[in-house]
Amino acid sequence: MLISRRNFLKSTATLLPAFASLPMVFRRAVASSMLESSSYSSPYQNRTLIIIQMAGGNDGLNTVIPYTDSKYYDHRSYLAVSDEDVLDLNGELGLHPVLGKMKLLWDQGLLAVVQGVGYENQSYSHFESMHIWQTADNKGKLEEGWLGRYFESLKGMEDNIFQGLAVGKLMPYECSNLNAPIPVVSSIDKYRLEGSTQQRSEALLKLYSSSPLGAPYGVLLDNTIEAVYKSSEALQTADKNYQSDIQYPETSLSKSLKVLAEAIIGDLGVRVGHVKIGGFDTHSDQIVEQPDLLQEMSEAIYAFYEDLKAAGRDQDVLIMTWSEFGRRVKSNGSGGTDHGAAAPMFLIGSPVVGGIYGENPNLRNLDKDNLRFTTDFRSVYSTVLEEWLGAAPEAILGGQRFEHIPFLAKV
Amino acid sequence: MLFNKDRRLFLQTAAKLGLSAGALIIFEQACSNMVPTEEAVSLMPTSQPKLTPTLVPAQVIDSTSQTPVPYPTAGPTPMVGPTSQPEMAYPVNTPAVNKKVIDDPRVRMGHLLRRAGFGASKEEIDKHLSMGEAETISYLLDYDKSDDSEVESRIESLNLDLSDKLADLQRMAMLRMIYTNRPLQEKMVLFWHGLLTSGWKKVGKGPYMLQQDELFRSHAFGNYDDLLKAVARDSAMLIWLDSRVNKKNKPNENFARELMELFSMGVGTFTEEDVKESSRAFTGWSLKKKVFHFQENQHDFGVKTFLGNIGNYDGDDVVDIIMEQPVTSRFISRKLFEFFAYDNPEEEVIARLAKTFNDSGYSITALLKDILTSEEFYTQQAYRSKIKSPAELIAGTIRALGIESTVTYQVRKYMGPMGQELFNPFDVSGWPENEEWINSSTLLNRLNFVNAVAEGNRRHFDYDLVNMIDLKTVNETKDVIDYFVDILLDGEISEEEKGIYIAYLDGLLKGEDLQTGLTKDRLASLVYLVMSSPDYQLA
Repeated sequence: MLISRRNFLKSTATLLPAFASLPMVFRRAVASSMLESSSYSSPYQNRTLIIIQMAGGNDGLNTVIPYTDSKYYDHRSYLAVSDEDVLDLNGELGLHPVLGKMKLLWDQGLLAVVQGVGYENQSYSHFESMHIWQTADNKGKLEEGWLGRYFESLKGMEDNIFQGLAVGKLMPYECSNLNAPIPVVSSIDKYRLEGSTQQRSEALLKLYSSSPLGAPYGVLLDNTIEAVYKSSEALQTADKNYQSDIQYPETSLSKSLKVLAEAIIGDLGVRVGHVKIGGFDTHSDQIVEQPDLLQEMSEAIYAFYEDLKAAGRDQDVLIMTWSEFGRRVKSNGSGGTDHGAAAPMFLIGSPVVGGIYGENPNLRNLDKDNLRFTTDFRSVYSTVLEEWLGAAPEAILGGQRFEHIPFLAKV
Repeated sequence: MLFNKDRRLFLQTAAKLGLSAGALIIFEQACSNMVPTEEAVSLMPTSQPKLTPTLVPAQVIDSTSQTPVPYPTAGPTPMVGPTSQPEMAYPVNTPAVNKKVIDDPRVRMGHLLRRAGFGASKEEIDKHLSMGEAETISYLLDYDKSDDSEVESRIESLNLDLSDKLADLQRMAMLRMIYTNRPLQEKMVLFWHGLLTSGWKKVGKGPYMLQQDELFRSHAFGNYDDLLKAVARDSAMLIWLDSRVNKKNKPNENFARELMELFSMGVGTFTEEDVKESSRAFTGWSLKKKVFHFQENQHDFGVKTFLGNIGNYDGDDVVDIIMEQPVTSRFISRKLFEFFAYDNPEEEVIARLAKTFNDSGYSITALLKDILTSEEFYTQQAYRSKIKSPAELIAGTIRALGIESTVTYQVRKYMGPMGQELFNPFDVSGWPENEEWINSSTLLNRLNFVNAVAEGNRRHFDYDLVNMIDLKTVNETKDVIDYFVDILLDGEISEEEKGIYIAYLDGLLKGEDLQTGLTKDRLASLVYLVMSSPDYQLA
């Protein structure tokens, strides 16, 4: 058995009271073990939440387009999408023409659009705003990712290394958690240790657990090596057993979502999957760049959905998209848009009640050239945490209560 | 970064408690057999005296009790995260042990050459030890006194296409890091590439990224205002942050924002109006025939209000005003100190460095000299307090073992999966740092890289592992361990770790004596283990 600090923290946690005087990590471990969690009982245990991060700040106004509003055309000059080209949703809003596959999902009632999502005192810095979305806190008080806190709130965390699975090169900040680093994989094919022998692994694991707890990054390294050993073999097995007739497009996002599909269909117990698509920071040439990215996203999501459906798992998977901000209402002089504020979020999948939620952005009542937010992003998080994952949202969202949005079908 | 504070608090507290994993395991086992009462706690193993006084609970709460609600359901002070704790149970900056200055000259030299360069072989360390520390620092700072023609001819001999092939650019950069005689200059090039970054995926083919690399090399140690003004005119930057399409009347804010947020002042130190106004000052700074061109008819000559100043400013004026802000000297001082020494430096360190910077007319050399000669740089707080970036790991490994390499695909292929595709960062924020380098995928690829090195395929990693160690000098297993730990880890490992290495090599030897039993495979396995260790991941 691997000796991990995570196990240690977990088991001591239940025994150590007076946690006010403990170091923070211990204290959190205490807190999480005391959280009454029902998430390991049905119906939540087979459910997965897929996060798609659209990094760079996606232009929401050219994604879900208010094509009946003349103001849109006034502001956007040649970046505007013609009302003849949009894919109409409800006679008022339409999807960008490259989102054909998303429109197919909409037609089946599988796409929910939450309008005007943002937060108070919008930050126009990519990294500050991402941090706010990732920690679920616009006051800079909460640390670690909101999903990292969710992982820590789960009982039996140490038994399942795949509580979360991120596809990409870096750990997504929203999943970050010192005590429970989820596996990160960029391609299953290359996710295997070369030259590994029994003797080598035994000695290596001893070395990692022997470094003093106070050694910089000792905990992180120790927990990560454990994740390496535990996850690489399981993913190889899932990959070997995975069979599918669905053709995914040859794009980066498709490949990433396919990894998640393999893990879900292979029953690895993934509660949260994370993928990222970057490049939405369209200060120039938006007319070329944004449609390519939106199309990549739309087609990848569709293939992923079809794959899960064919495997009979579509009922278990909810997809959520987010981006750190929308873009300036008025386009700039370089065929692009600068950093903005509120934007729509997508929720996709069989568990969804399709439709438009929240208040449409008002192009006649701007806040310094930007759209005012009408829905706090944590309302979406809170809905998903409680109604989809069966977690207690207040504990994860800093003690605050947020109004829920009825985009999920009642089971 | 917020995350750092949290981790540091935890690690420093743990360090103060002197916890080792061994102690934790004993403690864990003891606890799992006990009923958690005050009496039971008093029975905790007395062999761990440091543990008990601090961890003994003042009051025992039944673990099944529902009363201690871990998170408040409402209210302004949520419990998650140290910043919400007005009074820390443990001070953030204390443990005296961390302030301890490293005495051993060999360890100090290893640390210096690793941080202010890309590590060193045994011979290089010996050479610098006889030069002395002060002389070595001068050698690093006065880099242009060192002849670097050897690395130039290595690069030339490969006939690289440095304009149109990203892989060739990366190869050139790695060759410089590995074989340069001017390691601090190359370290600064890597630093600037991470701070004032641009990336291939947007900039694309052409001479642009190479020119930016050369700009960083020629301005590596200059004055920061000169560098910022040069970067504002740099072709790759003009493309990367859209200055080339920044036009009068409808300005593009991309460069102006990142100039302040990422390059000089930091987030939250300027307003959205400052972004808009300064972007006007850079209008017309364009690109023509692949080089900077001032497009007069697109420049906004009007009056701008910027950071409280009013005037008919252009881009250079904006840089000058930025340099006058007190936040700027602190920002760049912090960036450099954290890159070379340790995270979250003390206020007095930042204040001192900022003064050095301002007094010297924004000199980067002055800052570097201050840092590399400071006591803080040689404390335990700095030693192994950073995670090696992939470039440092690869270049450092090849340097330390004296390997001949032309940085073929078999070497480069690990960089991307480790998270650092040179000249092609993830986004405008440049390279990740420290804990961001470590996740299951990057760690696995680090291990696979060191495995490839240990196996030592001659075409990619040419060195003679078997003859590296003189068998006449080894009498017992421990000597072999010491030899490689000296080269790769400054000889600094715990007794517990040494025991693990000895047991491992003894296991491989299966009773054979050292003179005949130290085959290439066995040595390779040992070197693999040392380079896979947690210590080796640290810079």
